[in-house]
Order: sequence, then structure tokens, then C-alpha cells
Amino acid sequence: MRLLVDIAEHGNEGPVALSHVAVRQNLSEKYLQQVALLLTRGGYLLSVKGAGGGYLLNMEPDKMSIYQVLDLLEGNIAFEETPQGEESAIQRCIRLHYYQKLDLEVKRVFKDITLAEVTKADWFSYVI
Amino acid sequence: MKLSTKGRYSLETLVYLATCRENCSIRSISEATGISSGYLEQLMIPLKKAGLVDAERGVQGGYRIARKDITCAEVLLASEGDFLPAPCKGCSQSDFCKTHQIWSLLQNTVVEFSKEILIESLAAHLVESEEGGGI
Repeated sequence: MRLLVDIAEHGNEGPVALSHVAVRQNLSEKYLQQVALLLTRGGYLLSVKGAGGGYLLNMEPDKMSIYQVLDLLEGNIAFEETPQGEESAIQRCIRLHYYQKLDLEVKRVFKDITLAEVTKADWFSYVI
Repeated sequence: MKLSTKGRYSLETLVYLATCRENCSIRSISEATGISSGYLEQLMIPLKKAGLVDAERGVQGGYRIARKDITCAEVLLASEGDFLPAPCKGCSQSDFCKTHQIWSLLQNTVVEFSKEILIESLAAHLVESEEGGGI
């Protein structure tokens, strides 16, 4: 997420090198490479090879849903889990009446939040 | 989002206890939830400490839910501690970090919503479904 914000803020000057992001964000470059790979495969980043290469956003920041990015990076953001094996009546009850509703609520809150919102200086005007 | 097994099991235990009129032995909770007795004993420690379950010794002893107005948030906070902490917790930049604000928003959303869901009403749904419950 910090990688995306950084690229959104610096990408207008051309591809953003991970080594620069690493310094700016105080994150390890190795770790950033893994995240960048995931985001490239997910279609959020575009990798530019060669000298002066790096990463660019692969879509407009106002089209990039933060919920979907979190879902990709966290490997499924939903609380509801597909029942594995036999589901007890209690588990089913909690799944339907709590986890499922909780997921809807998170989706509702995050519905309109895009990378563009996040990169705005004072984006945190969202009140639950 | 990964809630820990501990958190999920604690919710299941509390929902079951809320359907019971009398004290429940670890064994009967174990039969109803499928959670092993040993694990249940462990789950009960923080739940008892947080005042969410009462334990009584003796022949008629066992566990029962302490109050009627317990919320899912209370159960998860008791069993998981600070559940869903932002991965960047403790980071010196968190005050102005935009990513941190996203995590805070996510955490607040989950906690606030969980404060609205009563264990009692989950238990009512369970009894209604006529599939289980300890009555």
C-alpha cells in the first residue's frame, strides 16, 4: 500500500525505481520486489524494464479500489470463510449473522475509497 | 481477513453458552461445538478474566454466560487482545502515514460493527434455526 501511494505520488516523473521507494519509505527493497510482483500480476502496476526503469501505475488512481488492493495483498480480506468439511449449526449461525454482515459493512465503508482519495493530503475525512 | 482460531472458537463457545439456561460442563460445550476440552479450558481463561463467563465449582458447576449484553467485539478483544492491529503498529511515521490511516479505518470499522452484534442475538438466531443450542 505504501508502495502504491509512493508510486502515485512520484510516477508523473516516469517509472519509479524500487530502490528509491525503499529509501523514501524505509522499507527493504527485497520486500518491495515481492509486493511489486504481486501488484503487477494483479494488474495494478506496470513494470518498465531497462535503464531508468521501474514501476508505473497500470490504472488511474481514481479507478483503483483500495478494498480490492487490500484483498489481493492480504490474500482475501473477508472474514467469512468457506466452510471446510462439516459446518456446525453454531458456526453457520455466526457465519451468516456476523461474518457475512461484517464483510458487507467493510465493503460499504471502503466502496468509494480509491488510491486517488488516499494520496490526497487530507483524505481522512471518512467518518464511519 | 484472518481472525484467529482462538477468536472464532471463543465466539462459538459464547454463542452456545447463551443458549443454555443452566451451567454447562466443558464436556457438553465440547460436544456442541466440536472444540476439544483441553482447548476450551484455555479459551475460558481470558473470557473469565474479562468477566464474560462465570464459572462455578461443584456437582452442578460449569460455565455460564455472565451477562446478556455481551457483544462480539468484547469476546474478540478478550480472546485476541488488540485484534486486527495495523501491521505498521508502533511505526514512528504512523501519525502522518496514509497507509496507517487505511488500516485504522479498517480496524475501526470492524470493531465498531462488532460492538453492535450481541452474542445473545446470535444465540436467538441459532435457536430459531432449530438446528442446535443447549436448551
